[in-house]
Amino acid sequence: MGRMSTQETNDRIALLQGTLDLLILKILVLGPCHGQGVARLIQCQSEEVFFVDHGSLYLALQRLEDKKWIRAKWGVSENNRKARFYSLTPKGREQLTEKASEWRRLARAMGLILDSDSGLQSEEA
Amino acid sequence: MFRRKRSPADFAEEIKMHLELEADELQSEGLSEEEARWKARREFGNVRAAQERFYMKGRWVNLDKLWRDLRFGLRSLRQSPGFALTAIFTLALGIGANTAVFSVMNAVLLRSLPVSNPNRLVYLRTSNPPRGTGTIDSAETFSYAVYDALRHQDRGLSPVMAYVPLSSSRVAVRYGADPEEAEGDMVSGTFFSGLGVKLLRGRGFREEDETNHAPIAVISYNYWTRRFARDPDVLGKTLFVNDVAITIVGVAAEGFEGVEGGGSTDFWIPLQNRPELNAWGNPLQDGKNYIANQTWWCLRLVGRLAPGNSRMQAVAQLQPVFQRAAYAGLGTPTEGEKPPILSLADANLSRYNQQYRNPLHMLMAMVGLVLLIALTNVVMLLMARNGVRQREFSVRQALGAGRGALLRQLLAESLILVTAGGVLAWGFAQMATRLLGRWAQIESSLAPDRTVLLFTLGVLVIAAVLFSLAPLRVAMAGGAELALKTSAATSNTDAGKSRAGNVIVALQMALCVVLLVGGGLLIRTLRNLENTSLGMQTDGLVVFGVKPNIQSIPGGVAFYVNLMNKLRALPGVESVTIMEERIGSWSSDNSDMTVDGRLPDAANGSSRTVRSNVVGPDFFRTLGVPVLAGRDFADSDTAASPPVGIINEQFANRFFPNQNPLGHSIGTEDGRYQMTVVGVVRDHKYRSIDEEPIPMAWYMYAQIPMTGAMHVEMRVRGEPLAILPSVRKAVQQMNPNLPLIRPMTQRAQYDLTISSQALFARLAGFFGFLAVVLVATGLYGTLAYRVSVRTAEIGVRMAVGAPRGQVVWMILKGSLLLTAAGVVMGVPPAILMGRALTSSLYGVKPSDGVSYLLAVMGVALVALAASAVPAARAASVDPLTALRTE
Repeated sequence: MGRMSTQETNDRIALLQGTLDLLILKILVLGPCHGQGVARLIQCQSEEVFFVDHGSLYLALQRLEDKKWIRAKWGVSENNRKARFYSLTPKGREQLTEKASEWRRLARAMGLILDSDSGLQSEEA
Repeated sequence: MFRRKRSPADFAEEIKMHLELEADELQSEGLSEEEARWKARREFGNVRAAQERFYMKGRWVNLDKLWRDLRFGLRSLRQSPGFALTAIFTLALGIGANTAVFSVMNAVLLRSLPVSNPNRLVYLRTSNPPRGTGTIDSAETFSYAVYDALRHQDRGLSPVMAYVPLSSSRVAVRYGADPEEAEGDMVSGTFFSGLGVKLLRGRGFREEDETNHAPIAVISYNYWTRRFARDPDVLGKTLFVNDVAITIVGVAAEGFEGVEGGGSTDFWIPLQNRPELNAWGNPLQDGKNYIANQTWWCLRLVGRLAPGNSRMQAVAQLQPVFQRAAYAGLGTPTEGEKPPILSLADANLSRYNQQYRNPLHMLMAMVGLVLLIALTNVVMLLMARNGVRQREFSVRQALGAGRGALLRQLLAESLILVTAGGVLAWGFAQMATRLLGRWAQIESSLAPDRTVLLFTLGVLVIAAVLFSLAPLRVAMAGGAELALKTSAATSNTDAGKSRAGNVIVALQMALCVVLLVGGGLLIRTLRNLENTSLGMQTDGLVVFGVKPNIQSIPGGVAFYVNLMNKLRALPGVESVTIMEERIGSWSSDNSDMTVDGRLPDAANGSSRTVRSNVVGPDFFRTLGVPVLAGRDFADSDTAASPPVGIINEQFANRFFPNQNPLGHSIGTEDGRYQMTVVGVVRDHKYRSIDEEPIPMAWYMYAQIPMTGAMHVEMRVRGEPLAILPSVRKAVQQMNPNLPLIRPMTQRAQYDLTISSQALFARLAGFFGFLAVVLVATGLYGTLAYRVSVRTAEIGVRMAVGAPRGQVVWMILKGSLLLTAAGVVMGVPPAILMGRALTSSLYGVKPSDGVSYLLAVMGVALVALAASAVPAARAASVDPLTALRTE
């Protein structure tokens, strides 16, 4: 009841807690990027499935910067606007490998459980 | 997150740029400028919220919150000032008492000497002095001959340093025109360099200063402050010590006040060789001072272990040198005599250590128990208060306050209480240590230092954590749903909580029993000491010292004859006598004595030591000591008449068993003075109140070749001290420059010998009392709270016909049960406490029934008193009002 959901499209999924960090790291592995670019890329690459709350994104960027996984520098965007560019640190790179494999294990495990019919049936029986 | 790298403005800028970038992109996808800007904004969501969340991460927010919590805490404490004041004072008393006792313990037992490498420093000790010597302390003092031999070797100890006071109390020092008394030591030339004591100003001593007996002095920092107001030009000023001019050449570093704990030496001079500056202020013996008199063991020695040397090696190397030197001036050891054996002891604050270690540890334990009671008291108060506030907490939880927020608020409140209590405690401790130092006559600085501050802070932190965690349980227990319960009768009953309260109260009572038993035992010890018969009539006795400057022996006798005659003539004076050693002043002159011309056999290993004193006519009549056989000294005993002596019962029984001692002769160990026994007196207390009598002999002053200071004892009618003005006038008629030294009643002099026991007992009693007060407040608070929450229940009971007596009994029964439980739990540890106190007791057994009975009755009485008011309040509950309160 507390939060009215006003998302116009139902096929967009709000990001799971903790996944945003991983996505940011993955985007930045391609090269330095500013916040708006990161948001766009996440949305595009997930084929518009993920909906990124921009406020949360910037706080996540700040959090990663505080953890020294990424670093930031003011620069100029391709269309000549001032923007804060983020790039991956070596520590961030390590984290990406680690987090990504963690995530894959999790996804695989989830898949195993969700795809097995026997479980569902026995429960219904 | 205490270091903020980015400003909120920078963050805002980034978001602004994001919106512009997004708008650009949307525009390039075909939207109009207006539409693109609007959509970018909408996509982003709440910009302000993001900025706020960024801001919230910073440290200023935490400070903001802390500040808000503190203000809130202050406000809510101000709403219950009774609670706040009780809690703060309880804390201040508990922590203050602990800080005070700890700082005394720290100063006396823990603080190490302010010298370099104190662990390589050792005191020299001897098993016993050789026969035929006089000593100050049979284990701790040495002859000059021994010192001289030891310092001239440099293998075991390097260097060996001697130090010896210029007076057994204080020495006369004049600076400018103002005479005063100060504590001064004569020391080796290597004293400052060997100890590694730094000089704040000027220089220390050199070895040639000792050889030349240079008339120079180093003063202590405290003396410099007290006497010279830290005058930077103090060097080169002249002090007159016993009228000898001494030039100040240095000021010692702050904190150095001698090599013994609790000491407060004001100045040091190199070892001197002149009659006015003899060791301990003694008159010359046969014209010899401490250097010439090889059989006077009067110097204290301290040494530094030579590099690479262990204590055992040092002893092994020094032992032969020591044993040879010990017999200088004595010849060979007598047959069968045990040779003295040198040993080395840790140079930490030894004398005070022995005297105060046990009492201080006991006091620390007691005061720790008091603290425990105080802390649990405050915890109970907090729990009771927060119990009442449970609905407030529930409402706040229901409104969305998290556990964290509640915890922060409780933390803030306890922080306020603990800070206020701590500040008050520190001030209280400062005052208490000053008082303690004065009462215990510990002259070195007891002021709390950094160690003490850390100790106190530690206690405060523990208190703060305890105070915020304990009540949190209660605060959270209610949960949000409690706000929905509307009846006070149902919302405040929690059996588990009151059970925890009961356990705490019973434990407090147990601790209280322990403290009361300890205090009771010690106070009964003090009563016993105070009521111990001295074996004399002290009422009406007044004593003072005089120190005339007379060179010839007949001149000295004439002075005292004249003085006694003058004093006897004063109105109100019954009798007057004199003595060399003031009785009841802890000191005594001990030696072996010959009986009928030879050293007596000491029956089965008992000691041959005899105490002696040199006294004047009418000595025993004046003191009121019964003469059992023979006579007292009289004016007619003079240098011309046959020498006479008087002995006590112990002497008679040990050395003249089954004979009449009258007419036998006794003499000094070297056989130079022989006296005929003319009287036997009853045993009485000589040095102190708690001593056991030992054999003792008295000589007549007029027959012993001595001059110098004596103490005058007067028996007067009426108030003893009232005679002093006329005495002063009489003395000044003889010599206008002669002051009365430490005039006081003889009783007061004896009481000084139990001052440390008295202090110990009073403090223990005070802590017991404090415990009682704290337990009473705690119990009262708990019961009052319970009655207040049970008002509705009591109302119902009364409405259905319970008589008032039954209601009162219900409350009283609870506290009596708690008392019984507390007593049962308290007695075993009290027995342990009693056992630990054994060595401090006098005339009381550790299992003294009266003390236990009084302690138990005390606790029961307190419990009843504390329950009386709440019980009365319960009885006066009006059923109708009680039920209507909702």
